[in-house]
Amino acid sequence: MAGKLIVDTIDTDNAFITLNVQQSQIATMNVSGIYSNTGVKMIGANGTVSNTAITGLVTASQIANVANTQLTGTITGSQISSNTLSNTVFQTGSVENYMNAQGLGFGMRNRIINGAAVIAQRGTTFSGLSDDGGQYTLDRWKWAENGTFTGVQTVTQDTSAPAGFSYSLKVQTTTAVAVATSLSCRVEQFIEGFNWADMGYGTANAKTTTLSFWVRSSLTGTFGGAFRNSADDRSYPFSYTISVADTWEQKSITIAGDTSGTWIGATNGTGLRVTFSLGAGTALSGTAGAWVAAGTQSVTGAVSVVGTLNATWYVTGVQLEKGSTATSFDYRPYGTELQLCQRYFYRLVNASASTGYVPNITGVRYTANEVYLGITCPAPLRTTPSISKSGTMYIYSGGTNITLGGVVAVTSNYNSYTSCPNVRVTATSITSNTGWICEFDINAYFDISAEL
Amino acid sequence: MYKLTKNLRTNEVDSIIKEKDGVFLAIPFDPDNTDYQAYLKWVAEGNTPTPADEPN
Repeated sequence: MAGKLIVDTIDTDNAFITLNVQQSQIATMNVSGIYSNTGVKMIGANGTVSNTAITGLVTASQIANVANTQLTGTITGSQISSNTLSNTVFQTGSVENYMNAQGLGFGMRNRIINGAAVIAQRGTTFSGLSDDGGQYTLDRWKWAENGTFTGVQTVTQDTSAPAGFSYSLKVQTTTAVAVATSLSCRVEQFIEGFNWADMGYGTANAKTTTLSFWVRSSLTGTFGGAFRNSADDRSYPFSYTISVADTWEQKSITIAGDTSGTWIGATNGTGLRVTFSLGAGTALSGTAGAWVAAGTQSVTGAVSVVGTLNATWYVTGVQLEKGSTATSFDYRPYGTELQLCQRYFYRLVNASASTGYVPNITGVRYTANEVYLGITCPAPLRTTPSISKSGTMYIYSGGTNITLGGVVAVTSNYNSYTSCPNVRVTATSITSNTGWICEFDINAYFDISAEL
Repeated sequence: MYKLTKNLRTNEVDSIIKEKDGVFLAIPFDPDNTDYQAYLKWVAEGNTPTPADEPN
């Protein structure tokens, strides 16, 4: 047997030592103290076991229990090599119980929809973005501005992306402008109250929140953004640094939930605004890292993307989750992500190569000059939508084909569970009371918007 | 910019049309609809929509 074994003290009333030590299992054992027949109370003169002290197998019966505080140091990655934890290391439910106790979820962790910039129902290029209050671009992502904005930017779905992602949202400045005091432009996403209420904002139970994202820019320096409530009277400016131009970097920002202010609860209103600033004047900028009773959108002195002609800014992998840790990106199936987007916007388009029948629209005569179209949407809409029409459409019945005019009105049987909006559209000579089917020319579409 | 529209059966105004760049957007009278919220803000700023056409 390698090494040596010294028995220093024995309980003489119950002198009873059984050693079952096989060669190579214990290279060196330095024991002191009193031992009962229930096992070893201490190993080593200083109470430690070195890395190589136990080289063999320690079975479950050898260590009955490890109290909560027995492991006080860090178990580094090299201490437990890959694929060495057996199925029974963690009892069933232990990890789940821990996660639940911490208020952390496993699925659908990401409150951001389309965080990977994959869904683009409206198209992939949005140019000429300027002084019109704002416009939705890639699904759920809104380009917006404040003030009399004279800059111009273009938003595109771009294939530049870090490993693990296929697309990003790209902003490019095509007309630069200096950011005046109350001027700003930004890319932002509004999160519905139903999907945010559990964070407890505005209460003493407000949850810590972590935002993570991948970003790159042609510019370097300190960039800004903010979390804002729906009334825009509570905000938390945050900053992040881009160190190297035109290089993807991942950022993580953890904030304490807001315990003050008015935050919309479980409703279909805006629960939270997540804002990435592309330039903001001093009136809309503040100090990073604290909640303020104002509608700030960025941090003072941040880089202005809109201030530099042809400057670019990209973002993808955006994740907003409960807790203080930025977990790996919550990849969701494409169909799931698309349906999440379609609660807020649905483009019903004829994407075929010819004029075609659109199955999820039926029409009836409303008056001689209007037809009433019922549209079945793929997801329950957030609220009664606005509807616009683009391209040439027809209604057809019994060999009669009538071209549709403009939209007149929209109504809905909206409730929390279903949504089938109805739109009235002008037409002529609707003399028949029969039902009508709807046909679209190539690329004709209805835009159905229930965005926040 | 905004024009009211009437329901030809009830003869009551029941929707709003917003025209921008040749695109007509039908907006419902729904307080949760953000286009309707924008319309209300526009009215609150002192603007007046074009009245609805009268039925023929």
